[in-house]
Amino acid sequence: MANTLIIAALASAEKMLNAALRYDPATRIGLAQLEGKIIALQITTPGINIFIMPMDDELRLMGIWDGDVDTRISGSLLALAQLAQTEIHNLKDSGVTVMGDLSLLADMQRLVKNLDVDWEEMLSQFTGDIIGHQAAQLIRAKFGWAKDRAKSAQRLTSEFLTEELKTLPGKPELDDFYRQVDELRLAVDRAAARVETIINRKNH
Amino acid sequence: MNDKKTTHFGFQEVPVEEKAERVAEVFHSVAAKYDVMNDLMSAGVHRLWKRFTIEASGVRAGHKVLDIAGGTGDLSYQFAKLVGANGQVILADINASMLGVGRDRLTDRGIAGNINFAQCDAQFLPFPDNTFDCITIAFGLRNVTDKDMALRSMQRVLKPGGRLLVLEFSKPQSEILSKIYDTYSFKVLPFMGKLVTNDAESYRYLAESIRMHPDQQTLKDMMDNAGFVRTEFHNMTGGIVALHKGIKP
Repeated sequence: MANTLIIAALASAEKMLNAALRYDPATRIGLAQLEGKIIALQITTPGINIFIMPMDDELRLMGIWDGDVDTRISGSLLALAQLAQTEIHNLKDSGVTVMGDLSLLADMQRLVKNLDVDWEEMLSQFTGDIIGHQAAQLIRAKFGWAKDRAKSAQRLTSEFLTEELKTLPGKPELDDFYRQVDELRLAVDRAAARVETIINRKNH
Repeated sequence: MNDKKTTHFGFQEVPVEEKAERVAEVFHSVAAKYDVMNDLMSAGVHRLWKRFTIEASGVRAGHKVLDIAGGTGDLSYQFAKLVGANGQVILADINASMLGVGRDRLTDRGIAGNINFAQCDAQFLPFPDNTFDCITIAFGLRNVTDKDMALRSMQRVLKPGGRLLVLEFSKPQSEILSKIYDTYSFKVLPFMGKLVTNDAESYRYLAESIRMHPDQQTLKDMMDNAGFVRTEFHNMTGGIVALHKGIKP
């Protein structure tokens, strides 16, 4: 993939992401914990491979990577776009496959969901270069990738990760877990009070 | 009969022992503004060529990397981040002025601890055999007096399985691009050199030395002869620049 334009598109996308990260210290701290992990985004049509690597507290986007990959997501650009756009709740017939460490995907999704990035602008750099202006228009129209869709994509991805893949606990499960923690804390408090009373009684 | 061995310095023939000195003069002259000129000359594209080199290097945490002719430290900066605290990067350059600029820049950018600097000649690398996981030489090989000797020296200090990456100007693949590129190199480039560094001659040398450098296939053959295997090259920007890769068996 020694194509200068694709390298340029990757460099520019990386710059946009990292510019957004600069104003988001919490996400940067989270990214630092994922250092050394590699996510491969394999777009089958048009054929582009993007390797996403958190490094320091930034994201690196690479066109080639010789080493192991932790998570691999593959599908055509349209399939990936469709997944983000429509009400798909599982990957069956979506044309998108995910392999490897799903929790990494969940972590990454959680981290980048709040980033203030113009995804449409970023994507157009690849589509504009590779399949020409008209096709880019078509894809951009189909994407409707702007902020409102991005929000629903985030919700759907989050639903998909919690409900379908069961990699993240759902809200009711979390609430139940928090309730149990509260009960346990109260029980411990009560036990502590009782022990204190017994000790006091013994001392007097 | 004059049996003195000569080599090319741009389009001139000079005695072998003079070339290094004359190349040194060129780089002493341009060192301070080398990066500005690179950006101007290539419209910033040299950053993309270097970016591709980093990706193709396969360098990761813990590796030892030698960046020959590393000059102002563009590649070393990225390598130092990639290899992490347990790795090591050596920025090497034959030219003290370039090395000084590189060292200052890296220090200013907070790179320290896993980087060392060495003023050395690519033909006689002062490192033990089988030392490095990766060696890069970006826009440096064409200035070396004996390129075959330099390639053999690099092969020696690479670990088995280690890779050499040579990023260098090469031969444009299309005739039209070649013509445009010639006009640009011999007319525009020295003019820009005069404006920015007040030194048209040095930039004329750079343009000439690019023309005298072996083309893609010749350099690949030279790497094969030096003992590298799985050699290949990737053309970038229509072949104006090529990245050659070879593995030490």
